[in-house]
Amino acid sequence: MKALMSLGALIGVAGLLLLGGMFFDIVPSTTVRLVEGYMPIQLLLEVACYVIGFTGLSYMMNAMGMALPRFWQGIGFWVFLMVYLKYRVYPPIPFSVRAMYGTVGLVTVFMWISANEEDWTKFKQPILNVLDAQTGGKRLLRYLYLVLLPILIGGFSFNAMMPKSEEPIELRTVHPAPPASTKVHGKTYTLQTSQNPYRVNPEGKYDQEFSNANIVEQGMGRLMKPNANPWDDKNQGYLKYVREGGEIFFQNCHFCHGDNLNGRGLHAFAFNPIPANFTDPGTIAQLQETFIFWRVSKGGIGLPNEGFPWASVMPPWEQHLTVDEIWKVVLFEYWHTGYYPRTWD
Amino acid sequence: MMDSITQKAGIIAAAAFGVVLVSSAGYSSVSAQGLPEGFKKGELAAEPSAEMIEAGKRVYFTKCVWCHGVDGAGDGPGADRLWPRPRNFNQGTFKIRHTASGELPLFDAKKPIPGQNDLFETVTHGLPGSAMPPWEGILSEEQRQQVLSFVTTQLVKDRKFTDKQSESQTVLQLADLKPKPATDESRKRGGELIVEKKCVECHGMEGRGDGNAFNLKDDWGFSIQPANWHKCWNFRGSRQDPYNVSNIFRTFSTGVNGTPMPSFADNTTVDERWDIANFVNSLCERDPLGNPLPIDPLTDKPKINFVIPSDMVEGEIPTDLENEAWKKAPKRYVAMGGQITHKPRNFVNRLDDIWVRSLYNDKYIVYLLEWDDRTKSVAEGKLPWAPTQVNIDIKEQDPKTGEEGSIAAQQNNYAVYNDAIAIETAVKWKELPAPIKPRYLFGTNEQFPMDIVKWEADGSLRAFKGTGWDKDFEERDNYEEAMKLLKAEWLNGRWYVMIQRPVGNKKDQDYDEDTFFEVGQYIPTVFFAWDGHNGDAGRKMAVSAFYYTFMNPPVPQETYIYPVVIAVGVVLLEGWVLTRRSNKKRGKTL
Repeated sequence: MKALMSLGALIGVAGLLLLGGMFFDIVPSTTVRLVEGYMPIQLLLEVACYVIGFTGLSYMMNAMGMALPRFWQGIGFWVFLMVYLKYRVYPPIPFSVRAMYGTVGLVTVFMWISANEEDWTKFKQPILNVLDAQTGGKRLLRYLYLVLLPILIGGFSFNAMMPKSEEPIELRTVHPAPPASTKVHGKTYTLQTSQNPYRVNPEGKYDQEFSNANIVEQGMGRLMKPNANPWDDKNQGYLKYVREGGEIFFQNCHFCHGDNLNGRGLHAFAFNPIPANFTDPGTIAQLQETFIFWRVSKGGIGLPNEGFPWASVMPPWEQHLTVDEIWKVVLFEYWHTGYYPRTWD
Repeated sequence: MMDSITQKAGIIAAAAFGVVLVSSAGYSSVSAQGLPEGFKKGELAAEPSAEMIEAGKRVYFTKCVWCHGVDGAGDGPGADRLWPRPRNFNQGTFKIRHTASGELPLFDAKKPIPGQNDLFETVTHGLPGSAMPPWEGILSEEQRQQVLSFVTTQLVKDRKFTDKQSESQTVLQLADLKPKPATDESRKRGGELIVEKKCVECHGMEGRGDGNAFNLKDDWGFSIQPANWHKCWNFRGSRQDPYNVSNIFRTFSTGVNGTPMPSFADNTTVDERWDIANFVNSLCERDPLGNPLPIDPLTDKPKINFVIPSDMVEGEIPTDLENEAWKKAPKRYVAMGGQITHKPRNFVNRLDDIWVRSLYNDKYIVYLLEWDDRTKSVAEGKLPWAPTQVNIDIKEQDPKTGEEGSIAAQQNNYAVYNDAIAIETAVKWKELPAPIKPRYLFGTNEQFPMDIVKWEADGSLRAFKGTGWDKDFEERDNYEEAMKLLKAEWLNGRWYVMIQRPVGNKKDQDYDEDTFFEVGQYIPTVFFAWDGHNGDAGRKMAVSAFYYTFMNPPVPQETYIYPVVIAVGVVLLEGWVLTRRSNKKRGKTL
């Protein structure tokens, strides 16, 4: 048990030092990178590590006779949460959302410190001590609070009331419900039954297993399988069409969606929100191939009313590309990100 | 190429005979070994292992081939719609280096160390202002080294990184050279030196890259433009650290291979180079306090604030840029991307930002728009289609993998149209029912149109109505009298345009066609811009996202009263808590 706790304490100290170092620019802020696409799970793991670390730390300090009062433990943990949310998470979370997390965090901390009568008394004690002001130091502290609190609260409310011009927040539907069918270049496609005509094996048969075996590998870099180079001239079927799709992608789509399909293209910086990131497991990995076909063909303008607001400049690509080209681009996007399209069943 | 070869020959000759070159200013800029000051001889790195090269091939054919091409000749499928074009690796010509002009860049497959591995840093940080993204976080360090091993051994065909006979390494010792503090004196001297060293001939009098924007070609004959010193985040060698003066010092010391930018190592001292670097760095856009603009790590461009505040002035709105009101008005960076959704599409966008300020009084609102454009363009050719038209039936250039007739090859050879700028605001923005937002570009429909005000370099100021995503603009001929062009001037590579329009009211204006500007409200605003020398006309233009014009209301009285009331309330509350506590302790209850 002791060894386990020491390990926990070590993790806690190391983690705090790292965060502090990154905060004050002593350690480069890229030391522990947030990896695109794995961010939520990474953050959860990190916070879990910190909690383990803090538990160990508090145990060690107890054992060494330097126990931190419950009062400061509670405040410290809450402050840690707020700092973590503000400075660690990127892209930054808006204040309103952080305030929500902060409130939930505060409630949790209260539940923790008031779990039993003894803890609650311990927590209250420092506050009561200041109120009673039996020593000189405490008296000074009490007067400081008496003067500072009204000034601070008055100042905050002045700040809050000053007219400000902050960008209004607009939420948007990420994956609006698709229609049952879509008409592209005069032909109607039923989304539930349509298939990508280029997801075929060398014999020309629709073959999801074959294509899934040849997509890029997950993991750092998302590289192609060693024997599945779309630029090999001998390719027939799937990989040949992946290459053709890639050519169309790099002539039309990468300007916004980026060379690595992560929504960081050459022109992406000018748009708000920035274009979709296909490497994120929340985009094309969650969707059927025909959904992408519909979105590409109809663009931002083709979104249904539930999909408001249409903060999308994606053009209806049917105006620029043929049906075959659109299917090939869709094929390429799944190949390059290493995701399998979702199936209807 | 000729330039760099002669310079290289010069360096070798100097080394052989120990000749001390004396620059025109009389300073000795060459050290005792005959190397330019600040440089040292380096060793060629060992050849990467066969496994590294093989592994790198896999990276190359997954990520790089799409632009750089199968043979690394910079002719992948994406190449022809890009400008600057992707690098042609075959000649071994690389722009950003620590090595002397004409030499191969530093690359060592075993040392991914900043300052000692130029190519690794290029792949890691990308080349801002071009389509080359930073690959850090996407490819692991090892994968980046692998792909470079493949590129340097297999795709660089005319030179060999390990050939001691033909290659040498003269390395700028940037780590040992302490930057000179950017004092006023240093910057002043730098400002004089850029004239003396003829930097301004290409980079322009104000450093906006407008000096010789038309006749410059790179080694492959593609047109190329001098850097705009005011946009340091677009410097190719900025290494995601644009305000770092060392990057400028390095580029200035080593030159940019393959381009007309020479190395100045032979005719400037290290001290002079720091002065120049300090001066160039000081030109980069900064905030009103003189601090570097915050850079968004996701895009490597300045962070964007989507609200354009407009301050109120009493009486006439001043037209003089030096006026206090304009100096105090907050300046917003508006990012611009190419319009690539409707024909004619603008893949090669040359206007990537606009700076906007605004003031209003009881009758008018004025926008002051400033943007860098290397050329003043007033129409010479006649447009083959109406500029209001959309989705016109024109043949787009085939994005073929060759160099003839590509967009990049056409650069600087377009018929010249008018430079122009437009402000688009939503009409009836207050009434838009929830699902309907003014559609991204040209308005929602007949019922909720957009109000477009466009200025062109021929001096015209016209109003249009946009009624739908792919509808032609309708010209409004009765609105022109209401607007006024307060200023339109092109000076040293920058346009200054001031447009005044009524804030509007229901009495005098047309409610169905005019935007009414209301104080304290967010009014959706979009900007369009055209560069006439880029062939921009009609829908071939640069577009911004939706911004909001926000007319700052005067501060209401309550703002000063309520906080005091609240503070007094807190004091009373404190008194109550204290009394209660002391009563409780004494055993009394209230």
